[in-house]
Amino acid sequence: MTMDDPATAAKDASSTRPTDAPPSTTPTLRAVDIRHGYGSETVLESVSLSIDAGEVVAIIGPSGVGKTTLLRLLALFEQPRDGALEYDGTDVWEITTQQRLAFRRRIGMVFQDASLFDASVRRNAEYGLHVRQSWIDRLRREVADLVGLRDGTSEAIEALDVVGLADELDRHASSLSGGEAQRVAFARALAFDPDVLLLDEPTSDLDPRNTSVIEDAVREASERGIGVAIATHDMNQARRVADRVAVLLGDGIIEVGETKTMFEDPEDPRTRKFIDGELIY
Amino acid sequence: MAGCSDCLSQTPNLAAIAPLQSEFPFEWIYIRSIIEVSLYVSLVAVALSTLLSIPVALVLGFTEFRGKGFLRSVITTGMGFPSVVVGLSVLFLVSNQGPLGPLDLIFTTEAMILSQLVLATPVIMGVSLAAVSSVDQQVRDAAFAMGGTRLDVALVTIKEARYGLVTAVLAGFGRAISEIGSVLIVGGNIVGSDGESYTRTLTTAIRVEARNGQFDTAFLLGAILVVLVLLVNALVIRLGGTNGGYR
Repeated sequence: MTMDDPATAAKDASSTRPTDAPPSTTPTLRAVDIRHGYGSETVLESVSLSIDAGEVVAIIGPSGVGKTTLLRLLALFEQPRDGALEYDGTDVWEITTQQRLAFRRRIGMVFQDASLFDASVRRNAEYGLHVRQSWIDRLRREVADLVGLRDGTSEAIEALDVVGLADELDRHASSLSGGEAQRVAFARALAFDPDVLLLDEPTSDLDPRNTSVIEDAVREASERGIGVAIATHDMNQARRVADRVAVLLGDGIIEVGETKTMFEDPEDPRTRKFIDGELIY
Repeated sequence: MAGCSDCLSQTPNLAAIAPLQSEFPFEWIYIRSIIEVSLYVSLVAVALSTLLSIPVALVLGFTEFRGKGFLRSVITTGMGFPSVVVGLSVLFLVSNQGPLGPLDLIFTTEAMILSQLVLATPVIMGVSLAAVSSVDQQVRDAAFAMGGTRLDVALVTIKEARYGLVTAVLAGFGRAISEIGSVLIVGGNIVGSDGESYTRTLTTAIRVEARNGQFDTAFLLGAILVVLVLLVNALVIRLGGTNGGYR
């Protein structure tokens, strides 16, 4: 990747930006009027949403409305049928696969299920770093692991520390509780220092303590300048962690606004009804 | 084959056997060469089959296309394909009139490898496909979402399916080394006048000894075959990282 590469240039620019600088006028990530579906079914229609560096955007809506589809589109799993996905102003579906990979590697994602690999906590947390290494370095790492001559990388340990699991490096993923596994999944997405974190109902199956740990980690990621989009149907969670809330109902986003405004004085009456649990869908 | 009729089913020279080996009704060179031929043919066939089968299983497991169901059923059918039919087909391929005739492979270990390859591939491919397909789609998605390329996702899938893949290789090896019908047809069961096996394997040797009424020899060769299978299984399981523990 050269300095002419838009992904590199943007990354360098963001890493050197003073912390007290005003936020960029160009959102890190922007979905512009996207439409998507499967077969003859339309799931998302004319959806526009932006995520800035350092902000937390909650995407709320009932189950099955398309929150996961929207996050998968933002994570570049698939190309929307229509519309554009822009990272730092670049339409990522108008560039080469290799250039798109550079953008994709600026995004971390946590799924509803932890989906950990059949390996230790350390290897799980290091995976994102691992795939960014050269094949020679990867081979060296495998050999060092085989002979037991390697500790965890500092980035992975730091990410595990954010979720309180830095002392569990050598535990196997299969021995973790559901909450611990989800925390490792969060650390795995945080370890490679992404610009954007996409969280798909990350606490829907967790107890209050693990939920609290994840929410604290979301705040810490935001303070580091990472833009976070969190899909949730937990209104209280959206109120606790989000700077802005987007309401996804029907097949589109009906309203986006500051969290306080959205919960206290939404413009769309359907938002009020959904938040109050009165909307039948 | 005709030129070698005098070397078929040779009875080893018992007088030449050393005192330690006097309980064996054959010379050491005979058994050693049979083991070598058996292992060489089976291991090469299984190695080639594994190199072919795992990528195909990954592609079949990952992608959707027309005719995929048919292809899967062909593989499944191949798992139980009669070895004698495979032997006849390979014999036709390598015979003078066959498409591989110019390669002069008839009654060679290479022809035996070809027939074992045909027999082992559906087994290795079918079990590998089942193992790869059982890897959770979300785990593959996680590899992709962490910045993995298609190759990285494939490697994660192989790692996640490694116990199943080891099982596939072992099943293929079991099918290959225990095979008798096709290797007898395409290999010719040839032993030199010095007792050295050219295309005789443990299984075909057992058949010959049993037909000659040498049941003690046949049982001994059978025991060696079982020990070899156990040793190879232990080695593959060890290298596959399963340590015998299939979870």
